This record gives sequence, C-alpha cells and structure tokens, in this order.
Amino acid sequence: MRAPEVVIDDFPRRRARWIEIATSADHKDVGRILIASSLGFLFVALVDLLVMRLQLAIPENTFLSPVAFNRMLSMYGATAIFFFAVPLFLGFFHYVVPLQIGARWTALPRVSQLGAWLVIAGATVLYSGFLFTPSEAGVNPLPPLSELAFNANNGVDAWTSATGLATLGFVLMAIDLTTTLRRMRAPGMAWRRLPVFSWVAASGSWLMLVIGPIFLAALTMLEIDRNFDGVFFVGGSGGAPLLWQHLSWIFFTGVYVLVLVGALGAIAEVVSAFARKPLFSRPAVIGSLVAITVLGTLAWMQNMLTAPIGIGWMYFAMILSLALIVPFGLILFNLIATLVGGSIRMRSPLLFAAGAIAMISIGLAAEISHSMVAVAWQLKNTVDATAATHFALVGGAVFGGFAMLHYWFPKMTGRTMGETLAAISFWTMVLGTLLAFGPLFLAGGEEGQVVDAYKFFDGTGVDAYNLVATIGSFVLAIGIVMVLVNAVLSRVNGPEAGHDPWGGDSLEWFALSPPDPHNFDVLPDVRSARPLRDIREAVSHSTRRAEERRAPESQPVA
Amino acid sequence: MSVGFVAAAIVVVAVNCALIYALRRYRADRGSEPREISGGRRIQFRVGAVLTAFAAILLVAAIVLTEKAREMPATGSTGLQVAKSGPLRIEATGQQWLWRYDYPNEAFSYYKLVVPVDTTVALDLVSTDVVHTWSVPDLAGKRDAVPGKSNQLVFRADEEATYEGSSATLSGQGYAPMRTAVEVVSPEDYEAFLESQKAAIQAAQDRVVGLIQTKQTP
Repeated sequence: MRAPEVVIDDFPRRRARWIEIATSADHKDVGRILIASSLGFLFVALVDLLVMRLQLAIPENTFLSPVAFNRMLSMYGATAIFFFAVPLFLGFFHYVVPLQIGARWTALPRVSQLGAWLVIAGATVLYSGFLFTPSEAGVNPLPPLSELAFNANNGVDAWTSATGLATLGFVLMAIDLTTTLRRMRAPGMAWRRLPVFSWVAASGSWLMLVIGPIFLAALTMLEIDRNFDGVFFVGGSGGAPLLWQHLSWIFFTGVYVLVLVGALGAIAEVVSAFARKPLFSRPAVIGSLVAITVLGTLAWMQNMLTAPIGIGWMYFAMILSLALIVPFGLILFNLIATLVGGSIRMRSPLLFAAGAIAMISIGLAAEISHSMVAVAWQLKNTVDATAATHFALVGGAVFGGFAMLHYWFPKMTGRTMGETLAAISFWTMVLGTLLAFGPLFLAGGEEGQVVDAYKFFDGTGVDAYNLVATIGSFVLAIGIVMVLVNAVLSRVNGPEAGHDPWGGDSLEWFALSPPDPHNFDVLPDVRSARPLRDIREAVSHSTRRAEERRAPESQPVA
Repeated sequence: MSVGFVAAAIVVVAVNCALIYALRRYRADRGSEPREISGGRRIQFRVGAVLTAFAAILLVAAIVLTEKAREMPATGSTGLQVAKSGPLRIEATGQQWLWRYDYPNEAFSYYKLVVPVDTTVALDLVSTDVVHTWSVPDLAGKRDAVPGKSNQLVFRADEEATYEGSSATLSGQGYAPMRTAVEVVSPEDYEAFLESQKAAIQAAQDRVVGLIQTKQTP
C-alpha cells in the first residue's frame, strides 16, 4: 500500500490569463506555448518558401535580387528547423509525456520553462535580423562563406545567436524530459510498459543531449572566428572548413532523425488507437525507433559525400544509411500490420498519420538512392536532394505534426477539431506536397538543377518543373493554413470531447480534457502496457458484479 | 543511378499499396471487427531478414557502382598520347564567382575548360575563398573545392561535344551565374588551343608592360 497523497492546486489566480500561462512552469503550459509558437513559425516559414518559389516560377526571374533570395533562404532554413519542427515535437513531448507516464508534473519544471522561452528569444533575434541585415549564408552557413571576410555584416551573428539560443533551449528541455522519464513514472510504469510516444520522447531527448552541445560548440567557434580573430574554420591558416561541416551535419542529421522518430512514434499511437488494436509488436517498433536514433545520427557523413574526405568514411556513411532500411522497414511493416485485422475508424488523426507514412516513404526511398556513393556524386546538391529532404521532413513534421495536433487537440482544449475541414485540408495538402516537391525529383535528377540558386537559366529544360512546383507550394500553403484556421476555430467552437474521445489505452486519456493543473486526482497502479484498458475493464467488471448483487432484490415478486 | 531509382520505386510502391489496402479493407463501417493479433518474434525476424537481404543487395550494387566510378579510365588510342603514362592534370580553381583552369603548359582559361577527347583527365579542385562544388552532370558528377584542401575528380570524355555545368554549393551573390562549360576537342585542336591561349596571354602581358613603360596608364 502506498501512503495517501494530498494534492493541492494553486491558489485561485489573480492575474490575467495570459500572464498566468506565460509565467507558468506547468508542463502543459510550456507545451502549449511551444506548440502554438511553432505552428505560428510554420506559417512564417511557409511565407519564406512562397517568396522563394515565386522567384523560381519562371527562368531568369528578377523578382528578388540575389542578396534578397539568399536572405530568404537563410531565414527559411532556420525557421523551419529551429522554430517549427524541433519545438513542435518538444512541445508535444512536454504536454503528453507526463500525462502518459502518470506524473503530476515534470522533474525540473523551471528548466524547461526557461528552455521554451529561450527558443522564443531565439526566434525574436532571428527575425529582428530584418531590422538590420539577415544572414546571407544559406540553410547551413558553411565557413568560409559564413566567415567575416565573406559576410561582413551582422547577419550571420544574428543567425548564430538565434539558433544558439534555440539549441540551448532544446538542451534544457531535453534535460527536463530525460529526468522526468527517469524519475517520475507512475508506480508500475516500467520501461517495458511505457507508451511508444514516451519512448521516442526519451530517445529523442537523449539524442538532443548529445547533438545540441556539439552544435553549440560549433556556433561558439564560428563566433570566435568572426568576432575575436579566431581561425577555427578559416581555410589555409591552420583552420579547417571541414570541421564545421562535420559538427553541423552531426546536429542537422540528428534533428532529421529526431523529427522522423518523433513522427513515427506519434503515428504508432494514432494507428493503434484508430484500428482499435494494440501495436502488432511493441518491442519491434520501440527497438527500431531507438536503432534509428543511433544509426541515423552516426550516418552524418552522408551529407559530405562530395567533400574531400576519405573513401573509407564515405563507405562508413553508406553502410550505416543502408542499414537503416531494416529498422525503418520494420516500423512501416508493424504499422501496416497493426491496421490489418483492425476495426478502422477513418478520423482526421489517422488520415494525417497515413499521409505522413506515405510522404515519409517517398522521402526515405529517395534517400536510399542518395546514400549510394556513386549516385550521391551525381545527385548531391541538386534539387532532387531538396525534394527528398522535403518529402521526409514535410511528411514527418507537417503531416506527422498535424496527426499529433488532431489526436491530442481534444486533450488540450476539451474540443475536437472539425472533421470536414480536416479532410478538405488534408487532401489539399497531399496534392500540394506532391506538386510542390515531386517535379523537383525530375528537375534535379534529369536536368541537374542545383540547390539554393536564386535563378535558373533559359534552355536548361527545367521551366515546367519549376512552374508546377511553385503552383504546388501555393496549394500546400492553402492546405496548411486551413488546418491552422481549423485549430483556431475549433478551440472555441469545436464539438465537445470527453476525457477519452478516441478510446485510447494510455494514461493521458485518464485525465480530464483539459487536464487539471495536477493532472490526476488518483494515480493508478500500472499493470500492463494498456493501463486505461485495464481500468475500463475493472470498472465494467465491478459494475457487472454490483448489478448481479442487486439482481435478486429487483426480481419481480411472483 | 538506375539501381537507386528501381530500389526507391520498389519501396514507394510496396509501402503505399500495403497502406492503402489495409486502410480500405479493414474499415469499421465495412463491419470489420478488431482482432487482437500481435506478432511473435518469428515474423519480425523473417521481415527483418528480407529487409537485410534488400539492404545487402543494394550495398553490393552500390559498392560495384562506386568502384566503377572511381576506376581511372585509360587514355585511348585517339587520345592525347603524352597522357598515356599518367592522366592529364589540370587544376580547377573555384573563386567567387568564376572557375579558372590551369593547364600543364602554364596557359589558363576562365569559365571554359578545353580537354582532349579519349584522354584521362585528372581535375585537381582547389578554392581561393569559399567552398565551391564543380558539377558537370553529363560528364563526371561533382566534387567540392574546399580552401586548404585538395580534391580530385578523374574523367574521360569519349566524344567531342560541349558539356554544360554549374556550381552546386551556395557561394554568395554570384552563385547562380557561376557556371562552367567543358569543351571536348581532338588532341590536335587541344594542342592548338593551348598554344593560342598561351600566345594571347603573353600578348596581354606585353601590352600591360608596354602601357606602363610608355606611361600611358592613368
């Protein structure tokens, strides 16, 4: 027997609601701030993308100057990665994980609160760059281009400060998550019973603890180079431009892995809830996700196959990348095998989860061919690689992110999102993604159109591909905006959801919607990987017992 | 490239057909009841074995392709005969925002690289400023020119033609127009090009010296 617990909520609030949320260290408030801000930055990244796509709609366009294009490019990359994709997953981890593991709060709430606000501070620094000059050094600012000699204004400094603040925030939030997962699990919530989404939160947070400090070190070295006459990355004066490539690609590859693993973990929850079946094999899915986290990050040199590194390192990266076929394949097999024999309700979370699987499969299939060294020598740094990355990351972060949003929205707001608008926006997004990035496979693979260029030339045979891609990106943007509008409208007007609208098996559906500040009045003893199902069965069992006991009394007297 | 394309096509078709079939076949409104089946170890090992075999086949194919691409082709009978013993070495320098080619006889050219047909050419890639990537997709693929490092790309052009290329790493404002062209000519034309290029460079040098000595410079 456990000792009785006393739970006291905060005193009634005296301040305005937004101040309460902004100063709160409650994991649900931290999660909501991150999710809301990252969806906002999804819209901003979309605007950046559309401006660049307008420039690339027709050959030799003069809509943007080269400098303006490079600035949009640098903004787009940083926004999409540091202020949309990673914060979205960390936000959902923070909101959902303590509920799933039956914790009342996180282990280090103030640490993750600080982390969330550091991310927002980073975004503020990045976009205040427009007040002076944004970075012109591209998505990954490779030295020496990002050194003072070639980018003399403060753009790159703003970029490094912004991404540095955000990365520091990610690391702080990862510290809170790993500690919470280690120390705060409910009685009986052994690792073997932990929901898949909490597992990916654990492996993703441990990954961030490894890659985050590496990137912070690289950023610090670049800042020393730029401001204090350092030579870390200066070619030919004792420095090594390739060092930055290694350090930054470890981080960016890790982030790519974190997004895919996080999305697949969420998809696993959604698929099992809407097929009304447990996962086909939990150990296989969890083991594969952990394997991808490790192997995928170690394959960072897959991004450097045209750089002057030894052929042995290239083969090392290729073997790791091709080895990833096994865990990725096992996950996809288990997800589909979970659907087989299920009783599938085609609601919006499952729709977006299926879309995510489809898009991720296209992106990963293209990555398989890119990981072959000889193919990479042809296709690296063409828009074919852009397309592969975007299919995987739009599939993971946007489709996967929207699957999470539709799935946990009732928990966060007490209301479900509109189903009709969800279906319309989903199919618009599918069409948009295929049109926006599909033609780039042909433009890069067949015609060799290169990445990051502010214009392409007449007579290179890529006019039609680029025009279709521009139209497609507008269609995709319309679809995404419809989802955001749906979320805003449903917060107030959506149909009310109970505490468990989908019939889930994990503990977040045991709490109220939205949960009380202390999450649970009573912490259940966890006896299996499906604790809420156990509770449901126990309740129906005792109800039946009570009815049986009452039965003789209510029997009509003959 | 075709191996990669076939592998990618297999993955996309297999995953999406299975996904769509499962989603349509087991709909609740078609009366499908949930069956609590879960996989044992054996099926996971079987699927894992199939995937491992797939990955292994791709690995072997990739190694074969890569080794073929790395193999140094020999100079043929119609090629430049002095390149019989070793490849013709040309230095390609990436600089913002132009490619410069230095030939063995100290002649150089910008933008346009002239090479003899049927001859092994080793392009030594260097950079004087930022990272550039030399990319002529129809001839030789691409490699990076990194300051302080040397990188090499070996190729042999089998027919006389002109190949268009570009730079493939963002290098600043002039990145998109930083293109290049490789003109493949007969060995005789190549020798003639070197001589005329050298004479033209000498003429330009003489003119500069003359202008300064006759005090015609501003």
